[in-house]
Amino acid sequence: MSITLRVVLIVVSVITFLYVMRRINKSQMQIGDSIYWILFSMVLVILSIFPQIVDWIKQILGIASTVNCIFLVIIFLLLMKIFSMSIKISQLENKLTGLTQRYAIDQNRFQKEDKE
Amino acid sequence: MKVLIMVPAYNEEENIERVIQHLISEYPQYDYIVINDGSQDATAQICQDHGYHLLDLPINLGLAGGFQAGMKYAWLGGYDAAIQFDGDGQHDPKYLPLLVETMEKEKADIVIGSRFVEEKKPWSARMIGSRILQLAIRITTGKKITDPTSGMRLFSKKVIQEFATSMNYGPEPDTICYLLRQGAKIKEVQVTMHERIAGESYLSIPRSFWYMLCMTISIFFIQWFRKRR
Repeated sequence: MSITLRVVLIVVSVITFLYVMRRINKSQMQIGDSIYWILFSMVLVILSIFPQIVDWIKQILGIASTVNCIFLVIIFLLLMKIFSMSIKISQLENKLTGLTQRYAIDQNRFQKEDKE
Repeated sequence: MKVLIMVPAYNEEENIERVIQHLISEYPQYDYIVINDGSQDATAQICQDHGYHLLDLPINLGLAGGFQAGMKYAWLGGYDAAIQFDGDGQHDPKYLPLLVETMEKEKADIVIGSRFVEEKKPWSARMIGSRILQLAIRITTGKKITDPTSGMRLFSKKVIQEFATSMNYGPEPDTICYLLRQGAKIKEVQVTMHERIAGESYLSIPRSFWYMLCMTISIFFIQWFRKRR
């Protein structure tokens, strides 16, 4: 892994971290959701400082170049995030549906009570 | 002082009646509100049948969301203090006057009912987690909180509005840590807690692990950068 790539990864990770912090300070992001991005940037920093870890993964999986292996790690982490977001969206939709239905039913009940 | 007891309840049909009847008969000087967090069992039905004061959340918001609903109720109702009080019978209401007294005397923003002010903390798995959090708070704030995970906390009027209206103010140790760093006055008093009498605990092993990870990262990395507005 070239020095340039390592420096770029570290810089991008630090910027990500600061950006996430800014969002939290402005109350635009929940702490639970930020944990992933903090861990994500930590992993990138660690892999840039200790490229031996990447070399080790590379050998086990039989990947030719270190850079490809870095990409693989990043793709894996992003897929995990997409999967968990997909689950979360399903749950949110389900909750929103339930909430809307309950609201309508309560409204209906109030109207009936008013008439009586 | 006008005090509100917030009782969050999630699937507590076996406990809720006993807990609330006890509060009504022994502590009529305090108001209470049950916050039913979208339970699937008969919790809401039991409360309605007995005419208990109830916030019935139509969907499950989780502990933080239910707690915030209670805080909003306290804020809009103009209460001077609000206490988080578990609906599963773990908390003993006999300590309520002590907590309220301490808040008045010490002019504290938050009073925590701690199991370990005078008692020694055991070395069980759960308490090792508690020790890690205690150490994390000690390192980042220099203050000693002996029972950071205690759910029995009394909040003053000054902080109720903040909890009611802001994001990232969950009833968790990292919020305590954050408020300490911002100069809030937090006191602890010795209490004893019961084992839960019926029903299941909220924390499983993987969930506890995730909880600890979130809390440590939050205390060391996030609260450090947060500013109070």
